[in-house]
Amino acid sequence: MSSTDIGPKGPAGQAQEAAVEYVENRTGAKTGLTWFLKRNIPSETSWFQTLGFAAMAVFGLQAVTGIVLAMYYKPDPTTAYSSIQHITNDVTWGWLVRGMHKWGASAMIILVFLHMARVFIFGSYKYPRELTWVTGAILLIMVMFMGLTGYLLVWDQRAYWATVVAMNITASAPIIGPYIADVLRAGSQFNPDSLARFYAIHMLVIPGGIATFIGLHLFLVSKLGISEPPWSKRASRARRAEEAAARAAAREPQGRREVLVEPAPHTLTVEAGQ
Amino acid sequence: MAESEGNDAQNGTSGGQYVGPRAIDPVQEHSHDDDPDFITRTRFLSGVAIAGGAVLSAAILVPIVGFAVTDSVKNPPNQWVDVGSVSNFPEGQTTSLAVSGQSEWSDARVFLRNKDAQLIAIWNRCSHLGCPVEYFAGGDNFVCPCHGSAFNSLGLVTAGPAPRPLDRFNIKVVDSTGKSVGGVGLVHGSWSTNVISPTNRVLIGSAFSITPSQTAVRLHDPGEPVTGVLSNLYPF
Repeated sequence: MSSTDIGPKGPAGQAQEAAVEYVENRTGAKTGLTWFLKRNIPSETSWFQTLGFAAMAVFGLQAVTGIVLAMYYKPDPTTAYSSIQHITNDVTWGWLVRGMHKWGASAMIILVFLHMARVFIFGSYKYPRELTWVTGAILLIMVMFMGLTGYLLVWDQRAYWATVVAMNITASAPIIGPYIADVLRAGSQFNPDSLARFYAIHMLVIPGGIATFIGLHLFLVSKLGISEPPWSKRASRARRAEEAAARAAAREPQGRREVLVEPAPHTLTVEAGQ
Repeated sequence: MAESEGNDAQNGTSGGQYVGPRAIDPVQEHSHDDDPDFITRTRFLSGVAIAGGAVLSAAILVPIVGFAVTDSVKNPPNQWVDVGSVSNFPEGQTTSLAVSGQSEWSDARVFLRNKDAQLIAIWNRCSHLGCPVEYFAGGDNFVCPCHGSAFNSLGLVTAGPAPRPLDRFNIKVVDSTGKSVGGVGLVHGSWSTNVISPTNRVLIGSAFSITPSQTAVRLHDPGEPVTGVLSNLYPF
């Protein structure tokens, strides 16, 4: 026993260990979580690689605040606006929860775009992570759709006419646009069913889709690992070594090539002749 | 049994294998598992399970999708709404009427224009993106608050991004017995005021779109041009 050890586990610690083992033996949860969380990552990660998690955390915030807002909101043309006034002015902390949902929506859009910019600038969409990018693009569309459908629920003049315009922009897509718009607003015009339909899409349809695709996205991130920035030291060393190998190959096409290559860094295997 | 024992006897004791009598005769059966063209029982039952699942899924999804979608894409039924007697819409004026029905918050209006010996009903839905246009009696024109489209007295575009004139409603003028008086006016959906008396009733019907030359076409959504190359993008 070294001097920093506290001692053998007490009964509470042993019980906890037994409980973890019990679940592990029946579900493999510990193995799965270890696979998911204890991954090797590039040495040069930065705050930029936290944007995706930040977006997901805000989705969690939106889900929780949305659930409690739904307990007071009434998706009916005659009562929607007054129920929001009730939430904001009468319900305890209603102004706070509604504000969290409202500002969280903006924060989520911003974070999603920053995350996408990070992936794009780092080149993280390249092989083998193309499908991670595709699932992320589908998530982006769904997040924008959440913004669109949620905007109408406020049911004031700005929300109403902005959504009328948005639906008519949708309808002006060639050939199928008018049908998509008709389905979204439950008719050729906004009508009493439109608000309930937007509410159902906002509350039930899209959140399920987002949760599913976050799962897929995370699985792929975990399976493929995250990429390093293209300007990382390791990548630069690799590039330099490749260039040196190419120079050496040009100097002496056959023969003593390997001798001319600079000593490769320990993390990298240079196959001369590639 | 006798045959297999005979085989064992013939094989002898090569390779130290057990050659004694066996409880189960190892009948060599040809397996089709490796043959992708052969339908094994497993493959047949898998196909049955998939097909059955597809049928059951369709039995659930078809009613769901039909329920959610069908009424939304159906054209609204044509109905005539009485909006008052002809005397309510004096000669030389454009009168604004709310026609929102149960969607009173939608600000849907009709402008009944009684000028140049014809009565026409102009919808206030902007042909650009559907905002409500406003009528200005001073300039005798319509202006959209959203993106600045402007229309003249007949609803023809004079400025802004609108791709076509303002839409119109069908209009009908009937006498006290409900019988239609006279014929339609010079333009489709309009009514010549020469044949009508102030006590006749004005009825508003379904909407339609017009080209810049005031030819009637089927009702289009906002943003859709009705003439030119781009009108082919909206065939239905």
